[in-house]
Amino acid sequence: MKIIGEWFVLLPAAVLLLAAGASVVMRNLIHAALCLTLSFIALGIVFIALGAEFVGFVQLLVYVGAVAMLIVFAILLTRPDRLTKSGTPFSGLGPAGGAATGFAALVVLLAFIFSSPLAKKPLPAPASAPVAAIGGALMGNDVVALIVIGVLLTAALVGAAVLAMEDKP
Amino acid sequence: MTLQILLSISAVLFAFGLAAVLSRSNAIMVLIGIELMIGAANLNFIAFWRFSENPSDLAGVMFAIFSIAVAAAEAAVGLAIIILVQRRIRSVEVDDASNLKG
Repeated sequence: MKIIGEWFVLLPAAVLLLAAGASVVMRNLIHAALCLTLSFIALGIVFIALGAEFVGFVQLLVYVGAVAMLIVFAILLTRPDRLTKSGTPFSGLGPAGGAATGFAALVVLLAFIFSSPLAKKPLPAPASAPVAAIGGALMGNDVVALIVIGVLLTAALVGAAVLAMEDKP
Repeated sequence: MTLQILLSISAVLFAFGLAAVLSRSNAIMVLIGIELMIGAANLNFIAFWRFSENPSDLAGVMFAIFSIAVAAAEAAVGLAIIILVQRRIRSVEVDDASNLKG
């Protein structure tokens, strides 16, 4: 990969990490959701830059189009700003405990990543995942997984509608 | 660029998500942390696919697509549960949902 191509991955990755970190520490839930949306967009661009265009566009459509909207709607429906009793956005381990646990997990993961011989591999020749090949795989080898995921999505969405439905008088 | 850089980015993303899940009090923020961790896993799938010996096999891409579908179902059910809890106890703070506490 050329220098420009490398920056096409690293730049959105930097945006991804900044937006994700901002969404974790934001006090205002709407701001956190918007930062999360920005990190989803950056992650989709990383996927596209790595050659997985189809996954990148699925990421943009499903996460930015659906999941981010769901989260914003849930925030608006629950109106947490009015309902917060404790006055602090942190609980459980608290900000220090959460940061310490996350940092410990990060250290363990990085230790494994940097001690693995696999991770030192140079970048192979540009790969691509053509949509025709993905469609062939979905209808061929992975057709059972496709059907199961369809049943799962239907059941999950019907279940979500039943859960959130107002009780009839 | 090596695989290490992509895996490190993914590890940082996972750590952010873990910190959010463990320390935030709002249930929606917990869900946002879970979404970040799933994003880190998807980035790993794509990174390993990109650096694999045989990228035309498409295994990593398929895993990422199905993982995104499962994450969408998870978000829908999770947010429905949060709305239900808010209706029951008038709060989305995870500490307030303590009916089973002795």
